[in-house]
Amino acid sequence: MPWVTLITGCLAGLAIFTILVRVAHHDQATFWLDQGTVRLSLLPAAAALAFVPYVPFRPLRWATPVPAWVTPAGHLLLAAPILALTFWAQLRIMAPAIPPHAPQDPHEPFYALIAQLIGWSAIIVAAAACTARSRFADLGGAIAAPISFAVIALAWYTPPSAKFLVRPPAIPHSIAIGWYAIAAAALILTCAAMRDHWHRCTRSPHRRPTAVMTRRRCP
Amino acid sequence: MTGPALHGTDAAAPADGGSRGAGLARTPRLRIVLGLARIEALLMVRSMLVLAGLLAGVLAAWGWFWLNPVQPLWWWADWRIGAAQLFLAMTVLVAAQLAAGRPRRDAMADLYASFPATAATRTLACLAGLAGAVPVSVLLAGVGVVMVQLRGTIGAPSIMVLAAGLVLVIAAGAAGTAIGSRFPHPLAGLLGALALFLPTATAHLLPVWSIWLIPWHYFPDQLGWLAGPLTGYPPAGGHAAELAGVAILAAIVALAVTVRSARARGLLATAGVLAVAAVFFAGAVQLEPVPAAELNHLAAEIADPGSVQHCTTASGVRYCLYPGFGRDLSSTEAPVNEVLALLPVRPSQPLTVRQVLSVDFTDTGLTRGQPQQQVSQWTAQTRNAPGNTAAASTIYLTVGEWAAAGSLTDADFNVALATAGWAAGFTPAGQNMPRPGDQAREAIAIWLAILATRPPASELQQGVQWRGLSLRRGRPTFVAIWNYPGTGGVSAAWPSRQPLPAAVYLMAKAMTRLPEQKVSQVLKDRWATWLNPRTTDAQLAAALGIQVPSGPLPPYPQP
Repeated sequence: MPWVTLITGCLAGLAIFTILVRVAHHDQATFWLDQGTVRLSLLPAAAALAFVPYVPFRPLRWATPVPAWVTPAGHLLLAAPILALTFWAQLRIMAPAIPPHAPQDPHEPFYALIAQLIGWSAIIVAAAACTARSRFADLGGAIAAPISFAVIALAWYTPPSAKFLVRPPAIPHSIAIGWYAIAAAALILTCAAMRDHWHRCTRSPHRRPTAVMTRRRCP
Repeated sequence: MTGPALHGTDAAAPADGGSRGAGLARTPRLRIVLGLARIEALLMVRSMLVLAGLLAGVLAAWGWFWLNPVQPLWWWADWRIGAAQLFLAMTVLVAAQLAAGRPRRDAMADLYASFPATAATRTLACLAGLAGAVPVSVLLAGVGVVMVQLRGTIGAPSIMVLAAGLVLVIAAGAAGTAIGSRFPHPLAGLLGALALFLPTATAHLLPVWSIWLIPWHYFPDQLGWLAGPLTGYPPAGGHAAELAGVAILAAIVALAVTVRSARARGLLATAGVLAVAAVFFAGAVQLEPVPAAELNHLAAEIADPGSVQHCTTASGVRYCLYPGFGRDLSSTEAPVNEVLALLPVRPSQPLTVRQVLSVDFTDTGLTRGQPQQQVSQWTAQTRNAPGNTAAASTIYLTVGEWAAAGSLTDADFNVALATAGWAAGFTPAGQNMPRPGDQAREAIAIWLAILATRPPASELQQGVQWRGLSLRRGRPTFVAIWNYPGTGGVSAAWPSRQPLPAAVYLMAKAMTRLPEQKVSQVLKDRWATWLNPRTTDAQLAAALGIQVPSGPLPPYPQP
């Protein structure tokens, strides 16, 4: 599990966010602080997430009886609380800087922001999983992260998709549904990319060994 | 030419002249550096990341220059090309970090240590390999320049600003090499690229002076509203020097991480101190306020445009444009002449079409460092400048809002409508003057503008919208209004500042369905009557033999 990579990314995001909040607070420009600041500050953590599904010595691991998807899926499960903690910390840092009932509060419900961040994370994980199957597997996140950012930027700025995914003109409900739909599609892509390609020997205990050679002869 | 490319770069070689030392002796180190640099440059050119950065930069330039209907001005556009270079710089940084960190990644350190080239030689080669990013950056700048030129831009590009974009890419690559020399993990490069991007993306949160250090960002500069480049806003030379200093400093850091010789490190430390001093000096130069004389001149240009504008008279209309905007004259004249050709009688008061500036002197990005009293004086001087208040026989064209080549339809229509308004005798409305009521001359003016420019009917129809104008018992009253397409920076006299009712447009639309000769004849016969503010649409409709458009409106966008 690339703990150092993940924690470095999360801490970098937190540091950037803290500096931005401090600078804005000092310049009395807190009215500019909004969920966009949170989104931008999470980019380092998102970039670190692109390295999480990477499995070193993959061919060696494929040779073991453990299915190939177990390791990256385990990495992702372990990374989820760290990312959630980073997000929570950012919101905690921003809360004192924004006065209660400030104009930027009611316009952007947090459930839409959470959906956006889940969608982003799903895109990044899908890109990383796909990269891991390509010839750029050794670079992992260095390829997956720029691709993911480009996909997110396209979704953000292309008028047809921005109509549903970005506020305004999209309403928070459509933003949440849109990003969750993207997350679901990305999850399917991730599962397909992580599936086990190795031709395993599936030996049934109830049959004779010679009769159950499904795809590959067992040694 | 057989000596080391840098003192101390061979320090890692065995001193006893073993097989590796013998190899080095046979192969000049400069040749090794050049050979490796050639390979690194080729890898840089072929890098998918760099090509993706090029594509992102081209897309950004396409969005800024091609999708934007506003005519680009070179003193604004060249900084935008620099902003497009930022995308390329980010990917070059990541690619350079990956290249510099390659020997220490994936447990390859021992393998690379067995090669004749030392770590410092490889770093030097990586730095020289950044030359591979130069043609990509030049290509991006070239694409940007072509796009801007095709949009009918005004002015000429600043070579210094365009060169600063190239230096930005090189500086980012050098920073990537420095990062990769110390931190081989690919995440380090990504974080470096984000560190390059985030100050630009969050510039609105940063102090105003940061505009000078990241001048390619789009908030809150006023370059696009100026009639020409303003000396020191932003200081291009200082910015290019700062970037060059950063590039040199990053290269020194990259080499300092990998050289072993104490003498080489001493030399690098000295050079590093000089580079830091150069960066700080260039930063200080950038933080200097815009010269007061320049701002004085700008305020005078705004307050009294006639003192600097070139005026020409054609077909009895006076056109006054700022120097350098002469190529816009023909596109401005065309809709005016079309309307004049349709008029039965020209007004006695001559028409003037004049460019105006809309510069905000309260923007601290522009007047930072100036005494508050001086800023107040400039603000007062420009408060009543032409264009801030409408005049009866003058059409104002705001600099920075005129349409680009290929997107002139809206601007043409607006100039034609303003000309028709002058012909119909409109006078400027007061600040809170209520709408004077149904006037036939409004529909006539719109009819003249439509006939003069013939804009797409669908575009005109899109202007029909519902708008809540008042509150009755807590509920807004929605009325159908007509927003004519875009403004194009055209302002002229109109009887009311309130939105135009959709019925007026529908009346003009009904007139366009009639034969032009018939409408012209009706207007010509009683022109003075139609220009009377008390003449209503109903009277005009009766004269034309049509019904006043009424009843349910077409399927407008619902509130």
